[in-house]
Amino acid sequence: MITELTSTLAEAIPTFQGYVYPNEATLHPVWSTLIVIYPYITGLVAGAFIMASLVRVFNVKALAPVYRLSMLTAFAFLLCAPLPLLFHLGHPERNYEIMMTPHLTSPMAVFGFVYAWYLMAVLLLELWFDFRQDLVKWSEVTPGLQGVLYRALTLGVTDVSEQSVRLDMKMEWILSIVGIPSAFLLHGYVGFIFGSIKANPWWGNVLMPIMFILSAIVSGIALCVFNYLVLTWIRRKTVDMRCLDTMAMFLFYALVVDAVVEALDVLHRGFAAEEGFAVLQTMIREKLFYTLNLGQVIIGTLVPLLLLGSLQLLRRRVPELVRRRMIFGSGAMILIGVLAMRWNVVMGGQFFSKSLRGVMSYKMEFAGQEGWLTSAIIMCLPFVILTVLVKLFLSERLPTSEPSAHGSSAV
Amino acid sequence: MRRFRLPPQILRLVLLTLAIVGTYLIARTLLVPQSFGAYGWYRGAALEEIASQTPVFAGKKACDECHADIQHQLDKFEHKTLSCEACHGANREHALNHDVVPTKVPGSLCLRCHEANPSRPAWFKQIVVKNHYGDQCTDCHLPHQPSQSP
Repeated sequence: MITELTSTLAEAIPTFQGYVYPNEATLHPVWSTLIVIYPYITGLVAGAFIMASLVRVFNVKALAPVYRLSMLTAFAFLLCAPLPLLFHLGHPERNYEIMMTPHLTSPMAVFGFVYAWYLMAVLLLELWFDFRQDLVKWSEVTPGLQGVLYRALTLGVTDVSEQSVRLDMKMEWILSIVGIPSAFLLHGYVGFIFGSIKANPWWGNVLMPIMFILSAIVSGIALCVFNYLVLTWIRRKTVDMRCLDTMAMFLFYALVVDAVVEALDVLHRGFAAEEGFAVLQTMIREKLFYTLNLGQVIIGTLVPLLLLGSLQLLRRRVPELVRRRMIFGSGAMILIGVLAMRWNVVMGGQFFSKSLRGVMSYKMEFAGQEGWLTSAIIMCLPFVILTVLVKLFLSERLPTSEPSAHGSSAV
Repeated sequence: MRRFRLPPQILRLVLLTLAIVGTYLIARTLLVPQSFGAYGWYRGAALEEIASQTPVFAGKKACDECHADIQHQLDKFEHKTLSCEACHGANREHALNHDVVPTKVPGSLCLRCHEANPSRPAWFKQIVVKNHYGDQCTDCHLPHQPSQSP
């Protein structure tokens, strides 16, 4: 025991500098990589949904080819959103308990309500109304298990009369309108969880939910760009440049607003220079130097701003292939940058002592419950689910009801 | 006047929602323990379960009955506030039946309190174990009279 204790202490001692409370001198922070990818995944869901709403609510016709793909992306990622939390809690044998005893007095537990509302009342319903007409058609022409699946998904409603399709469209529109504030609620909630922690100067900030929502929209659009280009590349189809340029335009606008709000946050912190300012400076200059300055600011914001901004000005002069590559590169960089932003928020808030006079350090584990391998596997899972969903619902072999409005034919 | 009828897709969704909510409520009654929420947001029976466990510590008074001499000695030195079993291990069995050989905690637990830690007060005696004399603490320190040497 003594050797165990000594080795633990010998390992723990160098992980902090300055004045740190005893309960903070632990080997690694309570929240690590799993809690970093949790807001990342929920952000991607909210962003992909907002991107899809541009078609339904704001009637941006150019984005119609990616409407279904963005909805399925949001769905695939939403299915995996609670996984990091459940993995973090451990005890798979009692994972259902968190669902069985919901309550409203804990902000953490409210996620159950937000999640259930968004999944069951918004996303699944909108997907169902959108696909219903096609599901009926596909169930008639597809043999085997796949046909049975389509038939089961129609819920036995085979009515595709004009009146019934009109009702579907109306319901979709209503659900999209309900969906926008719901998507804001979903990710605003995640920002609120951090922003409401008054004792932590890195987190406790009213701008936090807004920054989370804006970065979510940016990452969601970037993910849709990424998925759309990868899917067209796999299927060896031509990219709808009008659609891609419109996505790039919205991505640029969202990124401008996001960058401005985040810069405002930094300026405000600097000007107010409250109690914890000195330790926050240490965070920016030392502890989070690479992930913040390189990851979030340069890779995630400045380079994509430059690339996408120049495309807005010089779109006609840039050849298609170069434009595609620039947009794809910006999308991929934004995805990395937003992941870095989640890291900076989640880990940054735990790298300094509540005494505001000491800092801790953290060495990422590889395997194990909190290791990055687990997080990497969870991050890959939505893409696996999305592949299955695309094969089932965006298959090129299936006829679609609205070839001009929906994605399957264009992709 | 025409009777209002729910469109078929809405009707199915309402039925499906009722089925999902119903299944959830049934699952909840089956899966949530009976005593959940009796006192607060936890399983009430857990309190009784914990209370019914047999204690493993005897307490300082029980030690004092037979080892009063050591206790008196200890009271004159810095370690007077410590409980005997903090270092010697839980020994209720031995206190109840003296024939039971007391359990021994292997090694010393000195480092639990005396390893250097910047968050401990400066007056508190601390060592950096790597730089301190390496073998047993008890070679140089008497645990019951920590400021004296053997």
